[in-house]
Amino acid sequence: MMFDLFKRMARAPAFDAAGLGTEAIARPIASGCSLPAQTVGVAVDRAGHTRRISAGGRVNLLEGESGWCFHPGPYGCDLLPFAAAPEIGLRLHFAIDSPDPRVSQQRFDLFLASEGAGELGLAGFAARIEDALQRELAQGNLALPPCTTLDEWNAFRAGLNQLLYTRFGVTVDDCVPVDLRGSRDFARELRARALQAATEPYVGVAPEAAVAPAVARASIGTEERFDPGVADARALRRLFLELPCLMCRVRQAALPSGQALFRQQQALLQRLDLVCLAASTMPALALAAPGQPLAFDQQLRRARHSVQATAALDEAWALLARFELAEDQGLEALFDEADRIVANLEHATGERKLVLPQEAA
Amino acid sequence: MSESMNASMSEAVCRSLLVDGSMLTITATRRPRGGRADIKCSAPGAPAIAARMQEVARLARHTEARHDSRDQVVISMDRAPGMQERDWELAVVLADRAVRGLLPLRPDTLALGWSEQWQRGRIDGIDARTAPAGALLGGPQGLRHLGALTGQPDAADAVSSARAWFPLHSGGINDSLCWVEVSVYPLEEGVPDDEAVGAPGLDSARQHAVRQALAGARHFDGEPAPRWRTTVRFGQDDFHGNSFELALVLADRLARGREFVPRGRIIASGCSSAWHAGQVEPVEGLAPKCALIEREAAPGDRVLLPRA
Repeated sequence: MMFDLFKRMARAPAFDAAGLGTEAIARPIASGCSLPAQTVGVAVDRAGHTRRISAGGRVNLLEGESGWCFHPGPYGCDLLPFAAAPEIGLRLHFAIDSPDPRVSQQRFDLFLASEGAGELGLAGFAARIEDALQRELAQGNLALPPCTTLDEWNAFRAGLNQLLYTRFGVTVDDCVPVDLRGSRDFARELRARALQAATEPYVGVAPEAAVAPAVARASIGTEERFDPGVADARALRRLFLELPCLMCRVRQAALPSGQALFRQQQALLQRLDLVCLAASTMPALALAAPGQPLAFDQQLRRARHSVQATAALDEAWALLARFELAEDQGLEALFDEADRIVANLEHATGERKLVLPQEAA
Repeated sequence: MSESMNASMSEAVCRSLLVDGSMLTITATRRPRGGRADIKCSAPGAPAIAARMQEVARLARHTEARHDSRDQVVISMDRAPGMQERDWELAVVLADRAVRGLLPLRPDTLALGWSEQWQRGRIDGIDARTAPAGALLGGPQGLRHLGALTGQPDAADAVSSARAWFPLHSGGINDSLCWVEVSVYPLEEGVPDDEAVGAPGLDSARQHAVRQALAGARHFDGEPAPRWRTTVRFGQDDFHGNSFELALVLADRLARGREFVPRGRIIASGCSSAWHAGQVEPVEGLAPKCALIEREAAPGDRVLLPRA
């Protein structure tokens, strides 16, 4: 009797669609649920292959697949292009467009497969967009100078649209500068900082902090505790799933005109191939050798290197967006940038494999 | 293009002073990494100083947006400072940036400053009591933050201060860019704003001009009620005219977090009789000023001039 009851509950689980389309973009869905109106389903198998489940249908998952349900939007959010200028922002409206029939896998599906963990909220997604935008502006790949002229603004918009489509698979509807004084008061923020500085005891840098190079590389100021196991697993999943797609897109996007550039592209693709291989043959985080556990500080070092590799991966997607907009004459600078990013990927994956940091000269 | 320029410049020199007054020369060179360490440092006969140099350079790199693992930077000192001396730290950081093309550095730059928080890009102070004129001094009275080299505010400080540059033209060899720095700090609520804009060291006429321009520009900006206590400083005080106003207004907007942040410096020249209406009027002598700006501007700088 009891068993029957549980079976029945398992057979028809309810899917909670509250907030989907406003505060939440995507949510995991169990097999057997029917999709709410206007939403789209995505099934992801263990190897990261995705397939779409058409709107209004029933989600039938195969063995080993996990299901997602997302609402195409539209969504609106406020972004802060510069951390140092909190009262001037950009109001962004975006949507997840109908699938592009020319590609075998939609970019947004790949995003869900490789980076999705639990519910994808609008605030968290906006924070990722903001990170990508701030990094591109800080590196000078997008330009949003003071007293922006119309031409500069149009160039920025084109770059931003392409960046968000290539990196996240979302389409920008509209983007306007906005005064954020109503929602965030810079004076109050400064006062809070002064209070914090007065109450917090001064902590100098421990002298051994920079002796270990991995610690010196770690991002300072992350609030949540860094769990090496979780961070490393997430980072390796991203590398494993996204690098092959990235290579495929590079092959399609950049069609260099001359023989020299063509050779450069071939060399880059070969090196990326080796990085792919390194990512898919990565040793387990907690093992120094089969059966031998690795010291915790070395696990931390390894995890930080894999996180560093995902930072290079983010830069690679941003660079791909620039490749897709590029004219012929700008290609050499972009190839040099690609060389830097691939070198960073090689370096990070190489360091991730090491059991002990090398005493480098 | 820029990369080939960087490749040709593979050496940077920055100088500093030791406690005994002798000159210390810090040389940074760049070469392909080839599987070696990212930064290699040496000081004659002082491995502990070399370790501290490496630590300083690595910590200061946290504030950079772009990571490049292809190069090794080798930094060396021509003599070893005493173990307690730390004023050479700023020179090491500047040389490390300049050799990678991130910072234009004059070959005769002399820099003094130490910090406990290089990872935030802050410079805490200097130990030297005297320094030659033209030296780049760190600390509360001088350069507080590495971003201030290009005028950007420190994104984590309780006092927000930003700089903008304007051309000084006297028709001679003394033409140069002069900076104006605006620092803002939130007012206590309910305190009247009589002396809310302070400009120490300026004569009363220029203080009045500064207050007028800031009040007008903030009115145009829609500032609802006085929120800020403001301090204005100039790089040098002996100049005439009011073409500094546009630079002042832009530095103020940057400090109040209401302007897009440029990657380099803001270089501006312009004045107005109606800042409250947001109008900018042309200034005299624009042609020689343009020539000066063209000579002084580095890549990434943002030049703003009124339409003539």
